[in-house]
Amino acid sequence: MVFVRWNRLKHSLLSMVLFGGWFGLIAPLQAEPLKVVATTGMIGDLVENIGGDQVALEVLMGPGVDPHLYKATQGDLRRLQRADVIFYNGLHLEGRMQDVFEKMARFKTVVAVTHEMKKDTLIEADGGTDPHVWLDVGLWRQAGQAVLATLKSKRPQQSSRLEEQAEAYFAQLAELDAWVQAQTDTIPASQRVLITSHDAFGYFGRAYGLEVRGLQGLSTATEFGLNDIKRLKDLVIERQIKAVFVETSVSEKFLRSLVEGVRESGHPLRIGGKLYSDAMGMPGTPEGTYLGMVRHNVSTLVQALK
Amino acid sequence: MIMGDFWILATASLVGVSTALVGVLLILRRMSLLGDAISHSVLLGIVLAYLISGSRSVIAMMIGATLIGLMTAWLSNSLHRLGKLQTDASIGIIFTWFFAMGVILISVYAGQVDLDQDCVLYGEITMVPFDMVIMGEKMLGPRALWLIGGVTLLNLLVVVVAFERFRLVSYHPLLALTLGVNVTFWHYLLMTLVSLTTVASFEAVGAILVVALLVIPASSAYLWARSLKQMMWAAVGYAQSAVLLGYALAAWLDLAIAAAIATLTGLQLLLTIAVMQWRQWWRRRVSFRDRDAYTR
Repeated sequence: MVFVRWNRLKHSLLSMVLFGGWFGLIAPLQAEPLKVVATTGMIGDLVENIGGDQVALEVLMGPGVDPHLYKATQGDLRRLQRADVIFYNGLHLEGRMQDVFEKMARFKTVVAVTHEMKKDTLIEADGGTDPHVWLDVGLWRQAGQAVLATLKSKRPQQSSRLEEQAEAYFAQLAELDAWVQAQTDTIPASQRVLITSHDAFGYFGRAYGLEVRGLQGLSTATEFGLNDIKRLKDLVIERQIKAVFVETSVSEKFLRSLVEGVRESGHPLRIGGKLYSDAMGMPGTPEGTYLGMVRHNVSTLVQALK
Repeated sequence: MIMGDFWILATASLVGVSTALVGVLLILRRMSLLGDAISHSVLLGIVLAYLISGSRSVIAMMIGATLIGLMTAWLSNSLHRLGKLQTDASIGIIFTWFFAMGVILISVYAGQVDLDQDCVLYGEITMVPFDMVIMGEKMLGPRALWLIGGVTLLNLLVVVVAFERFRLVSYHPLLALTLGVNVTFWHYLLMTLVSLTTVASFEAVGAILVVALLVIPASSAYLWARSLKQMMWAAVGYAQSAVLLGYALAAWLDLAIAAAIATLTGLQLLLTIAVMQWRQWWRRRVSFRDRDAYTR
């Protein structure tokens, strides 16, 4: 009967449209890379290595930017709106933005890469947690795990490929971790003191057995007192420390005054070089990747203190 | 996508209205740097709030900042009246003193805590559309917009209701005194409005935008407006156009939105001065020509 046939035709037409619709939805999902926004270059580097060409990455804080002084631009609004996934550091590194990220997590996949780190692996200062976790290579691998888990949940079809890429990168991280330990072990025990502009290297020092002192506190915004300078000066002279280090994202002005103060009292102290703490180097240079940044820091350090 | 732009523009535009209104009254009183002063002195407020409450939550920070903002405004006014110091000097004394106390308290009690205005109080206008008020399942617009909306409403209400009083007190304080108007009350009311407006706006959109919108549109209007009403309308108009053009500039060149808007207000002021100079020159030329024609 015509009626039945029409009904059948309608059915098949409908299912074709529906399937077509689904296909239309799924096809771009499969083909198009996941849009990911990372707040810092270090997180961006994790995402790039683990996600490979399955992600299109954009980083908010460029090379040399102190996270404290970061100002969002109009384009950052677009980037955050377009993103499928947003990764941030957490532990108050992003300041007020963190409150907003926590709220956004209700509607979007917004993940703090540090959120699964255990309390006892983090360094608690009175009142706050030290956010500079990436300077301990072993701990940073856990952040990589968080990135991997999130990407896998967003792209379950590609999880085996993501895992492969992650494993390859984690192997590189493990190798780097061992290399850093071996390098820092070559510094004479009495010289294992790392003096920098601000307290960024707490995790680094704990992981690789260095005593860490910063001129400023955890935040680059706090000021230091005369006593802080005097204490550092006494330490430098007492331990016969050869070098102190400036950070690429912090002004070296204050550290220079320490160096001059110590030199006046007859001890040859010098600035051992620039360390990357809160931001990586320019893209395209070796220091523009996480691995290169850590390698640069360690070789600068070892050369100056050995 | 478009909603995000809309929320940012709406918030910035309301900040423009409320700051322009109180900004005009501040300029007439030669206290326009009060906003800048409060942006520094709130440091003491947030340190005290942190030391008392032990947390860095926005609510605690807002309460501390508002109280110290009020103290800054009131005390600098009192210092001016009782200590017979210039207004600028008294503002300078109070805010540097508060700021210094804040710095000392941080270094003594909270050296290891990341505590400064930028990371616990000042908002970022770009993030406004992501920070929504949520009731159950419904999104009720950005939190910043509600906050600023409330402040704008308050300012409009006070200015509309008390317009005649403010005009009298601003232009003829002596006459107001002889007429039995409580000049002191109106001063302190204005100071209260200023500190509420600035602290709420700092929290919503950040400091630079607020300080710029408080001083510059009102100054541009001051150059040519002939009455208080005209000056207020002109200041609000300057602020609104700066918000629109500044946002367009930021979108075009991928800039920080607050800085682009603040820059636009400065350009407006320069343009206003240029136009006025040109008009003056033109008038003089015309009058010389007329005189020459007359004497010839």
